[in-house]
Amino acid sequence: MGLTHGQVFVYTLMTVISILFLFVTNAYLFRMNFEDWRSVPIPSLLWVNTGSLVLASAGMAWAINGAKKSDLQTIKVGLAIGGLFAIVFVSGQTWAWQQLTTSGFFIAANPANTFFYLITALHALHVLGGMAAWFYVTLKTFKQDASILQPESIGLLGTYWHYMLLVWVMLFGLLLLT
Amino acid sequence: MYEGQALYHPKGWWTRYVFSQDHKVIALQYTCVALAIGLTGMFLSLIMRMQLGFPGLFESIDAGNYYQDVTMHGMIMVIYLLTALFLGGFGNYLIPLMLGSRDMAFPFVNMLSFWVYFLSVIILVCSFFVESGPTGAGWTLYPPQSILPGTPGADGAGILLMLGSLAVFIIAFTMGGLNYITTVLQSRAKGMNMMRMPLIIWCLFLATFLGLLAFPALLVGAIMLIFDRVLETSFFMPEIFKGGEVLNYGGGSPVLFQHLFWFFGHPEVYIIALPAFGIISELISCHARKNIFGYNMMVWALIAIAGIAFIVWAHHMYVAGMNPYLGFFFATTTLIIAVPTAIKVYNWVITLWNANIKMTVPMLYCLAFLITFLIGGLTGLFLGNVAVDVPLSDTYFVVGHFHMVMAVSPVLALYGGLYHWFPSVTGRMLDDRLGKIHFWITFVGTYLIYFPMHYIGFLGVPRRYYSNEQYDFIPQSVNDLNQFITICALIVGAAQFILLYNFVVSAVRGKEAGSNPWGACTLEWQTLESPPGHGNWGDKLPVVYRWPYDYGLPGATDDFVPQNVPDEQIT
Amino acid sequence: MAFVIVATIIVIGTVLWNAVTPWWFTPLASNWGSLDQTIIISLWVTGVAFVLVSGFIIYCVYKFRYKEGHKSEYEPENTKLELWLTVITTIGVVVLLAPGLIAWNDYVALPDEGIEVEGVGQQWVWSYRFPGEDGVYGNTSGRLFSSKNTFGLDPNDPNSLDDILIRSAEVHLPINENVIMQLRSKDVLHDFYIPQFRAKMDLVPGQHTNLWFEPTLLGTYEVACAEYCGTGHYAMRGLITVDTKEDFQTWLDQQPTFAQTLNEGVEGSGKQIAQTLGCVACHSDNGVNGIGPTWKDSFGSTRELASGEIVTVDEAYIKESVVNPIAKIASGYAPIMPAYATLSDEELDAIADYIKTLSN
Repeated sequence: MGLTHGQVFVYTLMTVISILFLFVTNAYLFRMNFEDWRSVPIPSLLWVNTGSLVLASAGMAWAINGAKKSDLQTIKVGLAIGGLFAIVFVSGQTWAWQQLTTSGFFIAANPANTFFYLITALHALHVLGGMAAWFYVTLKTFKQDASILQPESIGLLGTYWHYMLLVWVMLFGLLLLT
Repeated sequence: MYEGQALYHPKGWWTRYVFSQDHKVIALQYTCVALAIGLTGMFLSLIMRMQLGFPGLFESIDAGNYYQDVTMHGMIMVIYLLTALFLGGFGNYLIPLMLGSRDMAFPFVNMLSFWVYFLSVIILVCSFFVESGPTGAGWTLYPPQSILPGTPGADGAGILLMLGSLAVFIIAFTMGGLNYITTVLQSRAKGMNMMRMPLIIWCLFLATFLGLLAFPALLVGAIMLIFDRVLETSFFMPEIFKGGEVLNYGGGSPVLFQHLFWFFGHPEVYIIALPAFGIISELISCHARKNIFGYNMMVWALIAIAGIAFIVWAHHMYVAGMNPYLGFFFATTTLIIAVPTAIKVYNWVITLWNANIKMTVPMLYCLAFLITFLIGGLTGLFLGNVAVDVPLSDTYFVVGHFHMVMAVSPVLALYGGLYHWFPSVTGRMLDDRLGKIHFWITFVGTYLIYFPMHYIGFLGVPRRYYSNEQYDFIPQSVNDLNQFITICALIVGAAQFILLYNFVVSAVRGKEAGSNPWGACTLEWQTLESPPGHGNWGDKLPVVYRWPYDYGLPGATDDFVPQNVPDEQIT
Repeated sequence: MAFVIVATIIVIGTVLWNAVTPWWFTPLASNWGSLDQTIIISLWVTGVAFVLVSGFIIYCVYKFRYKEGHKSEYEPENTKLELWLTVITTIGVVVLLAPGLIAWNDYVALPDEGIEVEGVGQQWVWSYRFPGEDGVYGNTSGRLFSSKNTFGLDPNDPNSLDDILIRSAEVHLPINENVIMQLRSKDVLHDFYIPQFRAKMDLVPGQHTNLWFEPTLLGTYEVACAEYCGTGHYAMRGLITVDTKEDFQTWLDQQPTFAQTLNEGVEGSGKQIAQTLGCVACHSDNGVNGIGPTWKDSFGSTRELASGEIVTVDEAYIKESVVNPIAKIASGYAPIMPAYATLSDEELDAIADYIKTLSN
C-alpha cells in the first residue's frame, strides 16, 4: 500500500477517535431535540483557544518543514511552538469551564451544559494524549541529531495535531450552531 | 517490524520476562492472566448454579450476592477472558509467526497493551473488595437501575470500578488493535499477499477491525454513565420516583444507553466468534490432512459477517421500547447474517469430505465445535426473528442460545487451539489421554447443561431470576432440571483442572514434539528453533510460495507442503 | 469411532427430545397463536438443517478415517456448489423470516377497539389503572407522586377523577376482547410478561410503551417481570384473572376511582403507603418470610439482628428501619432494603400503625 508502519498506526488511530466523537455527536443531536434543552452561551474565550490550536498546528507544520530540510534548529522551534500552544489551548479550555461554572452553568443543571463539558473534556484529553507522544519525540530530537527516524515521527505528530484541530473545529461548530 | 528496524533485545531479567517486548512472551502473559480471571468467572458461575440447583442450601447466597455473581461472571467471561485470550493470547502469538515476521510492528506498544490490560483486571478485582461489593447490575449495566440503590454496588464503588476497568480495557484493546492492523497490513513475508494469509489471520484482523470501531460506543456509554452516577447528570436518567421521592434526574433516555451498548455488544460477539472460526479453519484442515474448502468464499464470508455485524445490534432491543418498526429492519439484517455464517459451516464440513481425518484431540474439538455451533447458531434464528423473540426474550432460551454460541463452541475451539499450538510454544506435546478425558467431559457436559435450557425457555422461565418459587406456571420439574444442570456444571468445572494439570505436567515432562508434530503448512511451524527463538527466524526471513492449505497436494510425496517451500523443492 | 457413536446419540437425542420434553409452551390463553406457529416452523427448518449437517459430519468422520499412505482429495474450490448452498440457505432464511414479520406486523399495530388498561411498574410491584367512564387517562406527573398518590395523578385534571385505580398486583380482564395496554414505569426498566399470552413489552421510565392481546381462556395467569430491575426483580409477580364480561364488570365496579381515593381517611393509609412504596414486594402480610421478614405478628415480638443484638419490634424500631434500614438489619436477611429517608412523621406513624394491625 506504500504506507509506513507509523502511518497505518496513526491513520487507524484517527479513525477510531473519529468514531468516538461521532457517537458523542450523535448522542448530542438526539438529546438536543428534547424540550428541556437550553443552549449554552459560548464563552468568547473559545475563539481565543481555537486560535491557540491553529498556532499549535502552524508550529507543527514548521517543524515538519524543518525535518524535510534536516534543519534541527527549525525542528526544535516548531516543536516548541506546537507543544506550547497545545498546552495553552488546554489551559484555555479549563479557564472557559471555570467561567461557565461561575456564571451558573453547572454541569448537571441542564443536558446542554453536560454535553458542553463532556465534549470539550474528551477533546482536551485527546490533545493531552498527543502531548505524551510530543514529549517522546521532542526528547529524542533534543538528545540527538535528526536521524532518519525523525521526519516520519514529526510528520505523524503534525498529522495528529492537524487532526485535533479539525475535530475541534467540527465540535466547536456543533456547539455554536445549536 | 519494518525493513531494517533493529529487533529489540532484552537487557536484563525485568525486560526479558516481565516487561518483555517479544510477542510470544506477551501472548503467554495475556493467556495466563485471562485464564486466571476466567477461572474466577467459572467459580462465580458455580456459586450461581448452587443457588439455582439447591436453593437455600447456602444461606450466604442471597439475592444481592446472586446478582453480583451473575454480573461479574458475564463481564469477566465475555471481556476479560474471551476477548483477551483470543486476541491478546492467540493473536499476539500467531500473527507475527504466521506472517513470517520477527515481531509485531510496534513491540513497545504491544508490551504496554498487556500491562494496561493487567491494570484493567486489577481494577475489576478491586471491586470485589470494596464495601459495596462488585456491581450486580447485569453484565449489560442498563441504567437507571445500574446506578441506583436497589441494585448491588450501584450506590458505592462497585459500578464505578466496573466502568473504570472497562475504560482501561478499551485503551489496552485500542493499543493492541492498532498494532495488529499495522502488522497484518505491513509486515507480511515476501510472497505472502493477503489471499495467501492463513484464515485465522483474516479472522483476527477482522475481529480487531470490529473491535476498534465498536469499543468507542461502549466507551462513550460508560463515560456518560459515570457522569450520570457521579455528577448526577441525565444522559440516560429520566424522571424517577424512588424511595418515596422524585430524584434529581430528568429528561434522559435509558434506551440511548441500550443503543450505545449493543452497537458495541453485537460486534463484540463476533470479536469472540471470528478468532474461534479461525482456529477451526486451521485445525480442521491440518488434522483432516485436507485443504480448506472454498478459501475465497471463506474470506468473503468473513468480510460480509464483519460488515453486517454493525447493522444488527437492535435485535437485542426488540421489546425495549424503541420504535417498533425498527424491528422489521433488524430482523431482516439479522437473518441475512446467517447466510455467510452458514457458508462457513458448510465449508468446514465439506473440508471433511474425501479427507484423511486424524482423530487427534484438536480434531475432536473441531467436530464438537461444529455440532455445538450449529445448535447455537440455529437457535439464534429463533431469537433474531422479531416476532418469535417476543415470547422468548429474557427467558432461558436466550441463556441457552448465547452460552452455546459464545461459551461452549468458542471455548471448544479455544481448547482445540491450545492443544494444537502447545507444542509450538513449549516444544512438548500435551498428554493425549488426559486431553481426551478432558474433551469428552467438557463436550458432553456442556451440551447437557445448555441444551435443556432452551426448553424451559419455551415454557417461559425468565432469566436473571434468583428463585422460581413464587411462580405457579413453573413446575417442580424445572427445579429438578436445575439440580441436574448444577451437578453437570460442577463436574464440567472440576474437569477443567485436568487441562491445567496437563499444562503443567506436559510443559515439564511432556513428549518432545519436534518442530512440526502435526505436519502443518503454516509458517509458525517452519521456524529454525522449536519453540521459536527471539526474532523467530534467525538470519533469514521466510519467503512464501503458496497458500497455507497444500494438504494432499497431488504430486508431492508427503501429504502436506509448507508455505515456504518453492515448487522446485517439492519431493 | 467413539465420536461417531456419541455424536449420533446426541443428534438423535436432540431430535427425539422435542417429542418427549416435559417443558413446552404453556397452554395458549390469547390470540397470539401465530407466534407459536412461527416457532414450530422454525423448529422444523432448523431441525432439518441440524440433522442434515450433523449427519454429514458424522458420515465423513466415519468414512474418511485416517489411512496411512492415503492422501485426501485436493479440492480448493467448487463455486457452483457454494452458490447452490447459498441459494438454499437464503430460501431457508426467507421461510423463517416471512411468517415472523407478518406476525410482528400484527403485534405492533394496536387495534382501534378494545378495553384500555394501564400497567404501572415500580421496584418491585405492579399496579394498574383503567381510564374510567370518560375513556381518557388522566394526566400524570412525577412531581405529583406521593405515598397517597401512587399514580401521580393530577387532581385538577377532569379526566383523572374517574380513573379507576387498582392498587395491587392483581387485575381482572374480560375474555374475548382486545386488551390495549399502556405501560409506564415510575423508576427503572421493567417488562410486563405473561407467558400464557405470549406477550411482553418493556416499561421504560420517561416514556410510554404499548402492548395488546386478546385473552381467549378463562383463568388466572401470572405476570413475571422480564427486564432486570434490581434485587427484587424475581419477586415482581402480578396476577391477571380473565373473567366473563359480567364478572369483570362486577369486579371493576368494586374498585375505587381516583376521586374516591382522595377522600379516603387516615385509616388504611398505612396499607396504601406500603403498596405505593413497594414494601409489599418484600414484606408479606400472611406470615411467609420473603426477601424481608413478614409483618404478620411481628409487632411486639423480639428479633435477633445480624449483629447478634436482640431487639423488640416496637414503633421506634419500625420507624428507624424504614428511614435507615441498615442500622438494624435482621439476622438472616440481605442488607438490600432501600432507605426511605424522606417520609414524613405522619407517614411513618401510618406504617407503624398498619404493621400493628397485622399483629394481635
